[in-house]
Amino acid sequence: MKFLLKLIQTHRRVRQGGTRYSALVVVMLFGFFLEAYMHNFNLVYITLFFVFAIAYVAGPLGLYNIGELEAKFAPRGRLFANTKGELYFAITNNSKTPAWAISLHVNTLSSEVGRIEGKETKEAPITITLPKRGEAKEDECYLQSFFPLSTVRFVLPIEGGYDTLVYPQPQGIPLRSFLQKQAMHFGEEKDFDGLAPYSGAEPLSRIHWPSVAKGETSVKTFAHEQTTQELAFNFMDAGTNDEERLSQLCLWVLECEKSHQPFTIEMPNRFIQSKKESIDAILEYFARY
Amino acid sequence: MPYLNTLQDTKLSKLHHLDIAYIAVLLPLLLIIKAPMLLFMGAVLALLLLRKESTPLLMTLMTALGIFAIFLSSYGSFNFAGLSRLKLFLELLIYILIFAVSLQRLTREINFYLLLSPLLILALSLFFFHSVVMLGYVIVEIFILLWVILSFRMQGSFQETFKMAGSMFAFSLPWVIVLFIFFPRISFEHASYGFKGEGERRMGHDGTMFLDNNALLVPSNKIVMEIGFQEKMPPSNQLYFRGSILYLDKKDHWEPMPLFIHRNYSQGYTDIEESIAYKVTLYPTLKRWLYMLDMPQVAPKVDNHKVSIDVDFITTTQKNIDETIHYLATSALKYSINTNIDKNTLNIALSVDTTSNPKSWEVAQKIQEQYTEPKRRADAIIELFKQSNLTYTLKPKALDLNNSTDSFLFDKKLGYCVHFASAFVNMARMSGIPARVVTGYKANPSNGIQNYLVIKEKDAHAWAELLIDNRWTRYETTAWASSMDSQAQELLDQQSNTQTSQLNLYMMYVKYQIETWILHYSHFRQLQLLDKARKDPLFIAQLVGTLLVILLLSFMLWRYFRQPLCHDKLICLMQPLLEKLQKEGYKRADRETMHQFLLRCHYEHNKETKEIDRLYQVIRYGGDNSPQTFEKLQGIVKRFK
Repeated sequence: MKFLLKLIQTHRRVRQGGTRYSALVVVMLFGFFLEAYMHNFNLVYITLFFVFAIAYVAGPLGLYNIGELEAKFAPRGRLFANTKGELYFAITNNSKTPAWAISLHVNTLSSEVGRIEGKETKEAPITITLPKRGEAKEDECYLQSFFPLSTVRFVLPIEGGYDTLVYPQPQGIPLRSFLQKQAMHFGEEKDFDGLAPYSGAEPLSRIHWPSVAKGETSVKTFAHEQTTQELAFNFMDAGTNDEERLSQLCLWVLECEKSHQPFTIEMPNRFIQSKKESIDAILEYFARY
Repeated sequence: MPYLNTLQDTKLSKLHHLDIAYIAVLLPLLLIIKAPMLLFMGAVLALLLLRKESTPLLMTLMTALGIFAIFLSSYGSFNFAGLSRLKLFLELLIYILIFAVSLQRLTREINFYLLLSPLLILALSLFFFHSVVMLGYVIVEIFILLWVILSFRMQGSFQETFKMAGSMFAFSLPWVIVLFIFFPRISFEHASYGFKGEGERRMGHDGTMFLDNNALLVPSNKIVMEIGFQEKMPPSNQLYFRGSILYLDKKDHWEPMPLFIHRNYSQGYTDIEESIAYKVTLYPTLKRWLYMLDMPQVAPKVDNHKVSIDVDFITTTQKNIDETIHYLATSALKYSINTNIDKNTLNIALSVDTTSNPKSWEVAQKIQEQYTEPKRRADAIIELFKQSNLTYTLKPKALDLNNSTDSFLFDKKLGYCVHFASAFVNMARMSGIPARVVTGYKANPSNGIQNYLVIKEKDAHAWAELLIDNRWTRYETTAWASSMDSQAQELLDQQSNTQTSQLNLYMMYVKYQIETWILHYSHFRQLQLLDKARKDPLFIAQLVGTLLVILLLSFMLWRYFRQPLCHDKLICLMQPLLEKLQKEGYKRADRETMHQFLLRCHYEHNKETKEIDRLYQVIRYGGDNSPQTFEKLQGIVKRFK
């Protein structure tokens, strides 16, 4: 009785659909029926009835197999636009028996989950590439199973699908190159050591303008130099358009996080300091910008 | 056990799954596939076992070999007309299918058609087999195919997939049974082809009865017929199955009425007081006679045979019976009959060679003079037989065939049914009573259970029929033997109940019931059930009850197979304890460790749970996997109250 009640409840939650094997079963039943009916072959009748009964029984069994599952989006890790990432879903099997041949689907993407032991929760990833930064939401997430005979496709929608934040695609000039350009080297007047030819990478503040006026481009060198302790990024200098700037900043932020370097970002309406905000909060700001 | 463990851990590839399915479905077909095709299959198998790569050269070679094998296998059988015959067409279809599957399998690539082919082969094989063995095999085959599909889909261990297949099978059984009983049928004729099983024919009467060394004596236990009476089996003295009627005494043998003799003779029932219906399964005799209980009412209907019944109530088919046939027959047990015997038949039924058997002639003449009524004369002959000290023996001494009746009655005094019947008919004719010999089978009731009766070759029999008061009356001539020799007695003892023969009989009975109610279940049987249900409400209750029991059994089986496997030996060992504690209200939470759980239970079961906890920890984390510790823990868990 409990099984039947469970089955009825499950029936409402699980979508069922045919496969090419269901068409095959229909053709088989018709063929067996003709064979049996023409000559009253009881062996064929028995086979026919077995095929029918097993195909029929496959319905409730498949339903029970997937119906005891509960899945929800389990946010884990960071997702960046146009970059392969993994969405995680926590799938709990409430039955005592294992659930078989389960696959996870997000839109057209799929990932094999396989077997989920009874009374266990399994975290299943699905590889995905999201095209845009910002909030990503998808309701078309479901678990699917062809168990037991592949004649019926059982689909258990994942309530709420997934709702996650996609950060800008980290791309642009690597931090090292930026540092070469941007490092805030400065020296005292007394330490002035001389001039050196301009290599193209030095900042404007180091250019020796009188030599420029003479037709030579030289830069000042100092005997003692100090480096700025903090990296300062400027949103407006980071690219030619907002998306490019966000991507560039995202890349630098991640690199700074990796090398544990503090930084500041001058945004049009906000000043971000890594010492005051977490990296995730900064990235979230970028994502929502 | 190591083999089981290996089997348990074996993970089969998709191709291996397919191979198992192919082996299962091809096995019965090996009985009908011709040798060249078998050789081709053998070659493919060898290549697969040797793991040969499918090079273009190899594939071309195998294609040529396959076509040649198909050609040789069907050589002489096929022409354009032959293709219209379903059997040949199906054979060709099977060959082509095997050919295509073999070539595809050699490429080691799976396509949809390769997946589909086992089912096609199964469907085709069902055209050729209709036996009880095949019924069992088909069920096994379906189970194997189901297991293969599940094993492929689940990717689980052997035990898990096997249990799942068992569970599905158990769940589907009630549906199969209900559909089988109630699905409406039309009783078309069974196709007359297929695998015939053993080709050996049974001994059948050929319309003659020899008195010399060619005499019909087959002390064999081979089964000729199986009878299923619709009601109670008639008593022993009515179990005579008519074969042929013999009129002409040719000294060393008896023959039926010659066809050239014009007979204007008719017989017809005027009233039938008691009749009996029964189903006969007759095994191949390569003769035309159908055996029916005395006296047959109408010619039965037999698939693929034209059956006629003659004026002497002899039932024959137009062509020889070369395969097992089944027919429903009706016979009259108590009846009134109107016999209008013609002069020709009467003359032949009275004909006797006056130059031979002088002693018998003399005795017969005396009887004829003494009694006017044929019945009294027959009684006098019976008395003569009784007083002649005749011995029933299976090894009689050779009779003087020119004076066989004299020789049997007054000299040798040894014989079996044919000698008794022949002598009696001759004596009757000499006394002026029209008489004839009947051959057939006299069933032994000890070869039956309830309404089921087996007739064996050794039940072949001959008896006499005398025209008394214008009605042919049966006389059991061997009944007047004074004694029986040891060999004949031994034969009779064999028939009676040894444990083996009883067991054998029960098995035959089961087989017969399966054949009747499953293999030959038909529209007729459905009507029978319906009729019974209409007449007997109790029957409906019984039927519903049986179906419910089947449903319950299948549910229990399903539950058993659905039980999750216990992978952890220690947890399995603790399972009874957890169940006992659960009954007391202690349920282990999902993420609770065993230690935490047992601590919770310490309050009530302080001593036992402490020790159990200790042993559990020792085994689980202390690395003590010794059988003694396991046994100790098992003991405490068992004793736990």
